[in-house]
Amino acid sequence: MASGLMLWLFAVSVAASALGGMLGMASGIFIVPILTMFGHIEIHTAIGASLISVIACSCGGAPRLLRSRLTNVRLAIVLETATTMGALTGVLLAGILPIPFLYFLFAAILFLSAQQMLARRRDPSPATIPAPDRPWIVALRLDSSYPDRELGREVSYRVHRVPLGLILMFGAGLISALLGIGSGVLKIPAMDTAMRLPIKVSSATSNFMIGVTAAASAGAYFMRGNIVTAVAGPVALGSVLGAIVGARVLTIVSNDRLRFLFVIVLVALGIQMLFTVFGVHL
Amino acid sequence: MSRTTRLEDLLAALFRYGTWLASATIGLGFALMLIDARFGTRNLAGFPNMWIATTGIVLLILLPVLSVLLMLLVFVRDGNSRLAVPAGFVLAVILSGAVLGFRALLRPGP
Repeated sequence: MASGLMLWLFAVSVAASALGGMLGMASGIFIVPILTMFGHIEIHTAIGASLISVIACSCGGAPRLLRSRLTNVRLAIVLETATTMGALTGVLLAGILPIPFLYFLFAAILFLSAQQMLARRRDPSPATIPAPDRPWIVALRLDSSYPDRELGREVSYRVHRVPLGLILMFGAGLISALLGIGSGVLKIPAMDTAMRLPIKVSSATSNFMIGVTAAASAGAYFMRGNIVTAVAGPVALGSVLGAIVGARVLTIVSNDRLRFLFVIVLVALGIQMLFTVFGVHL
Repeated sequence: MSRTTRLEDLLAALFRYGTWLASATIGLGFALMLIDARFGTRNLAGFPNMWIATTGIVLLILLPVLSVLLMLLVFVRDGNSRLAVPAGFVLAVILSGAVLGFRALLRPGP
């Protein structure tokens, strides 16, 4: 493969991961549309490269989040039972579903991401939260706490509605394997809204989980020959570098301005994907 | 220090060093490839440069799998079967995915 294309893949991945990292997303949501529409790479090869990018972003960001005790590893492993099952189902369906359907599904996820980007996330009010209704939440010691530097104290939280969370996580794993994205767009709201976890905890736990979910489908994609080193290698390196750059830029850029830019990019990519479904080439 | 915190520290170390090792391996493979293309040398590493990069990608895929294995080992050591069972289940599902992919590879094409 030409070194020019490798450098293009590397540069695109740095930019996508840096952009994603600024808002706590993996870069898969950008990688697949860019590789298929601008790089003219076959969609299953693009999905394979994107899964590697998701793993790189997850692994690169995990150490800091684990050490800051924001990641709830006990809850993560329980929810992973559903996401990995969803991913396995997605791997089985990936070869059966028609490619235009994958493009259409991707466009829908891009519009959903844009809508969620506009909706501001808030921590659930403790007064409205009922007590845990499942004794095994206590038995598994899923409730936990984390040190909040802004508040200067330890914040305790309770985990709620785990069965609903498991159902939503199955869907997130399925979409992740079908489209090669981290599915943070589905996992984080599942934890924020359904399970009533604090935002920082749901973001950190989602970051940890997207790597495991992506690995579940990446193994199958690799064995099937859909992970092409010449494409996935530069994407992986670019994603690691981009995730580091994104995390640093996050502290100096206005969040609202960034959010607005993101929504425009996501909607534009979504429209472009829909055009592809209907065979319209601009 | 609590047991959960110790597990988090172990996982953080695995991800930190693992990510650097995998990235360095992929980078080495591509650097050798570019040197060979630029200066007309052949296989500076003694075997195909693409294999080195592929090894790095496999290492990257294995990192989350190893994190689940590490969790399983810690839960088993601590006698925490309630969490060891889901960890073992997740490992089994990931392995099944790889086996499914391998079987698809062996299947003759249309």
